[in-house]
Amino acid sequence: MTVAGYDLGHRGTVEAEHWLASLLSAAEGSPVACTHLVHGPDPRVVVTISGGAPPVAPSSTEAAAAAVADHAAGLAGRAVLFPGVRSLTGILPVATLLSESAIDEVVVLGGPPCEPDSRIDTRDFVRPQYRDGRLVLMATPAPGGLIAPFEVPNPTPCCANH
Amino acid sequence: MGHTHDHDHSLPAGGEAEQPVLDLSIPDSELSPAEVSRRGFLRSAGLLGAGTAAAATGAFAAPGVAMAHDHGPLGRSWAGRSRINTLLWLAGDHHIHTQHSSDAQYRVIDQVRHANAYGLDWMVITDHGSVAHAKIGVDKVNPDIVAARREIDDTLVFQGLEWNIPAAEHGTVFVHPGRNEVAVLKEFENTFDGTVKGAGDPTPANEALAISGINFLADAVTKRRVQDALFLANHPARKGIDSPHEIRGWRDANPRIAVGFEGAPGHQASGIAAPLGPGSGRGGYDNSPSAASFPQYPLESYRTWGGFDWMTATVGGLWDSLLAEGKPWWITANSDSHKVYLDNSKAGGGDFDTNGRYDDPVYAGSFASGNSDFWPGFYSRTHVGSADFTYASVMNGLRAGRVWVDHGGLIGGLDVRVRSAGSWVTLGDTLVVRRGAPVQLAVAIDLADGPNWAQFVPKLARVDVIRGAVTGPVKDRDVFAAPGTKVAKSFEVNQSTGRVTLTYDLGRADGPFYLRLRGTDGNRTAPGFLGAAVDPAGPAMDVLGSADPWTDLWFYTNPIWVVPNR
Repeated sequence: MTVAGYDLGHRGTVEAEHWLASLLSAAEGSPVACTHLVHGPDPRVVVTISGGAPPVAPSSTEAAAAAVADHAAGLAGRAVLFPGVRSLTGILPVATLLSESAIDEVVVLGGPPCEPDSRIDTRDFVRPQYRDGRLVLMATPAPGGLIAPFEVPNPTPCCANH
Repeated sequence: MGHTHDHDHSLPAGGEAEQPVLDLSIPDSELSPAEVSRRGFLRSAGLLGAGTAAAATGAFAAPGVAMAHDHGPLGRSWAGRSRINTLLWLAGDHHIHTQHSSDAQYRVIDQVRHANAYGLDWMVITDHGSVAHAKIGVDKVNPDIVAARREIDDTLVFQGLEWNIPAAEHGTVFVHPGRNEVAVLKEFENTFDGTVKGAGDPTPANEALAISGINFLADAVTKRRVQDALFLANHPARKGIDSPHEIRGWRDANPRIAVGFEGAPGHQASGIAAPLGPGSGRGGYDNSPSAASFPQYPLESYRTWGGFDWMTATVGGLWDSLLAEGKPWWITANSDSHKVYLDNSKAGGGDFDTNGRYDDPVYAGSFASGNSDFWPGFYSRTHVGSADFTYASVMNGLRAGRVWVDHGGLIGGLDVRVRSAGSWVTLGDTLVVRRGAPVQLAVAIDLADGPNWAQFVPKLARVDVIRGAVTGPVKDRDVFAAPGTKVAKSFEVNQSTGRVTLTYDLGRADGPFYLRLRGTDGNRTAPGFLGAAVDPAGPAMDVLGSADPWTDLWFYTNPIWVVPNR
């Protein structure tokens, strides 16, 4: 599997995903794409892509190389594109989410573990993480007895003055 | 305003925090021999080390002051102003915005009138640091504050600002009123604000700029430009960008200035379910890790727990890891009021960047169900044990940690004492005892004796005593766990009116430790973040879009330390 890394100075995941969307409208196949947080004095987001044919030359930075290695080994990376992601919309049983997509496991924080028939409100925004070779979706209790992905689609913006 | 104050100038039993013996900026050579001896004793007890100033006074204070507990001339508020241990417990809020913030809307007098009506004795106006504020707003807000002080004479109104801490979150910075209050704040903002200076990234240089800002405030006090100044970090876990080493760095830079953080953030209406509420995260906590955040913080830290910040709500967590060092770091609870839930006004127009503020708010003709805030005093209160009803006393009380906080008026009053052999201390203080001496906790809680601002009388169900060993300064400045701290004792409260008294034997003092209290309405509990063995029934993680703040009420106190001597 060839993985390409892009260290283009995106400040956050929103900006990185925006770039990714514009790029992959021209890509072929069904790529897996992840974002990787680069902590430290120059915080930014690296994007990795495998299984596609991105028409842009990858980066050769240290951060890009580390992200590529994590992606290739399934050790880390927040998956934006992955097999089945397009079918994860609306409210679904967890069993359906697991069978329709590459997600291996749903972990609930702040509530009891979910069951196959637990219903998850995807909010049309599902961003599982690679951990130890598995694709894991962190979730949390949601209104109406549902669960929902921990990460919300439109969090209070990082630059909000609140 | 027809409200009289009980002006009692006697000092509290614990003494004021700035006793010279504790002020390390005063050299030993300027102290009396007795003071030098006392300082040496504290130092050897591990309590007066690098940067420790506020904790540690009480064992030397006169013991046995009779409890003079009366509710005084209440006049206006359900909160009341009770004198306990000769202290006035003054309710306040250090985090309030006005039309001088680009995301807020009210006049100063709007906020002050509401705060006063809802029972606040003191408040801090904290508009956001910004280019427009640094240039215009910080000046323009002052006459409005001065006018409000005249119009509302029984609520103290401080001028402050909400500092964009370089490399980190926001924080309250405020000063004692005076001739230079604007000049000092303006110079501070223009020199040290992370937004004004473009210093948001977590670089070593930006972290150093934050420390320089704290030092600037200390210098402004030392040089008598202002009588006093304080800094408290706001919503510390919201975005995961206040790393443990930064918090320790602020504290240790100057513990007279940097005294604590919000134990509970504002925006407490934010989790009320849609469509009648914002349907978001309680406290505005709905984020996930970013590249700028401290990578070791878990996802759970990005949500509130029973309305409180994870750093405070986690028994054995970040706050406890600070307290276990034996150094003072206090919590508060505030409104962060920008736009009030279900208010029917909206921001006035006008060019904020040009004018430094919006025009006055106007009638909206509709109810703002998407607004996430409460008026100051409506829901969140920071109760400060003050020697007097003065600006200086409130600042001293905050600095000394004589502070407890509550949501929704959960309790009416609180007297906490740790005692041994006839001596006792209260919140924020340190009891120094003979090694092996028996130590006891004595708590008197005045249950809520009237309705809160949701028009019901809150019912206290349980009080927890949280205890941890003092293990001294940490080697790893990014530690955020105190493995020895846990809930040591829980009291079920089985009465609904009057005063509850609790006593708890803390055993014989054979090593330094601290304790703090927490109470709940018992409506919503879960094993703590570090497990049931540490905290069997703590606050539960708040559910995004389904967090009714009125049915999940807690109070928290600041700690008391106990140190055995040789």
